[in-house]
Amino acid sequence: MNPHAKLIFYMSLLLGTTITISSNHWMMAWTGLEINTLAIIPLISKSHHPRAIEAAIKYFLVQAAASALVLFSSTINAWHTGQWDITQLTHPTSCLLLTTAIAMKLGLVPFHFWFPEVLQGSTLTTALLLSTMMKFPPITILFLTSHSLNPTLLTAMAIASAGLGGWMGLNQTQIRKILAFSSISHLGWMTIIIIYSPKLTLLTFYLYSLMTATVFLSLDTIKVLKLSTMMTSWTKTPMLNATLMLALLSLAGLPPLTGFLPKWLIIQELTKQEMTAVATIIAMLSLLGLFFYLRLAYYSTITLPPNSTNHMKQWHTNKSTNPLLAILASLSISLLPLSPMILATI
Amino acid sequence: MTYFILLLGLCFVLGGLAVASNPSPYYGVVGLVLASVAGCGWLLSLGVSFVSLVLFMVYLGGMLVVFVYSVSLAADPFPEAWGDWRVVGYGASFVLVVVVGMIVGGLVECWKIGVVTVDSVGMFSVRLDFSGVAMFYSYGVGMFLVAGWGLLLTLFVVLELVRGLSRGAIRAV
Repeated sequence: MNPHAKLIFYMSLLLGTTITISSNHWMMAWTGLEINTLAIIPLISKSHHPRAIEAAIKYFLVQAAASALVLFSSTINAWHTGQWDITQLTHPTSCLLLTTAIAMKLGLVPFHFWFPEVLQGSTLTTALLLSTMMKFPPITILFLTSHSLNPTLLTAMAIASAGLGGWMGLNQTQIRKILAFSSISHLGWMTIIIIYSPKLTLLTFYLYSLMTATVFLSLDTIKVLKLSTMMTSWTKTPMLNATLMLALLSLAGLPPLTGFLPKWLIIQELTKQEMTAVATIIAMLSLLGLFFYLRLAYYSTITLPPNSTNHMKQWHTNKSTNPLLAILASLSISLLPLSPMILATI
Repeated sequence: MTYFILLLGLCFVLGGLAVASNPSPYYGVVGLVLASVAGCGWLLSLGVSFVSLVLFMVYLGGMLVVFVYSVSLAADPFPEAWGDWRVVGYGASFVLVVVVGMIVGGLVECWKIGVVTVDSVGMFSVRLDFSGVAMFYSYGVGMFLVAGWGLLLTLFVVLELVRGLSRGAIRAV
């Protein structure tokens, strides 16, 4: 792509995100969301492969419909209450419409069908952008309007997301689709606690962004897109594959690693709110996800692939690792002991 | 006057139906024209004449013209016409949805709809929509700049998507 055009698109992504997360007026929030949608379309279809173009079109249609719903919700609220403040969403129809709109933007069940296909059609770095930065403005809007949203609908969507994210990820061999379903189930965890403690939603989102950035950047370094390629990738940078294993287990939420912190705090908060059944159900449903995380972790460190290699390391090691990846990997593995400090600052 | 405004509302929805059930884009554009004309009429009934004229000019005179020119470059020699069974199917399902809505919502309440119209109270010293546009340039300059950037970004996105002739994203014919 033309470098100037690429610069404009990346800057517009930053601009759109900044506009939405710093807005008080619904129009500015909507404008930021639209700018984000527009700017990422050419980035998804950058390779001009038919699959990438299809992914871009699917993304555009879903996000445009969701933006229209955001606009409808805000105008109905403005019509009935006379003001456009994001935190003062009081009309019931507006609240319901906005819940649906944000669910479509994020990819919560039952509006998740576009997400695996869009991730599969884009490159690993674009998929990382789609999973982390493009989710940030809708989660901010969810955070700002959390007191007005419908709890039943949110809880139902959250449990369904955690369940379907785990279930549908089980039969996948393409890693980008597996990571899409992992994102859906993490969004389920984020949504279930938004009513009771919105700060835990943000904490879950930040830690999820760290961990998934580690995974995506590691996969980008070893250039692995499917399970069969992953089995023979350990020869490229053996240390990175070991770190990838730990990062995947952290995404799964296993105890001594960072990913355990949000799940722990969410279950604690749900139990405090007398939602013990919900906490149990969502914890059980994440076990489904644990299966494919374990499978990914196993394949990333397996040393006896079907075709045995003669040498331990590949003969040409031109994979220079990103220093950012080192920082992200350290954070995504070892932040659990800092949880009192994290709790005090969120 | 009320019935005229209601007719405009009906035409708006029917225009939307025509766009959604179009057998090919050339016939769908007819629905767009009808819907936008009805929308402009509705805006007039609310009293904001300037915004209505701007919508007319920009939408019909600008965007629709560009759309028609670019679609005519990729013209289908034998497009399907309105008499296709697909169009009938869409129209029938629309009628079905409306009837179900009327039954579920109660057959009586749906006739109790009214329209608020603005009668010609004459020009104020500053009319609302004109002064609103003026404020868009003064107090609302932040939103103005952001909206302008959004439109410019749309141009770049479209140029990037159609760049490259047959190697581009939209494989040109």
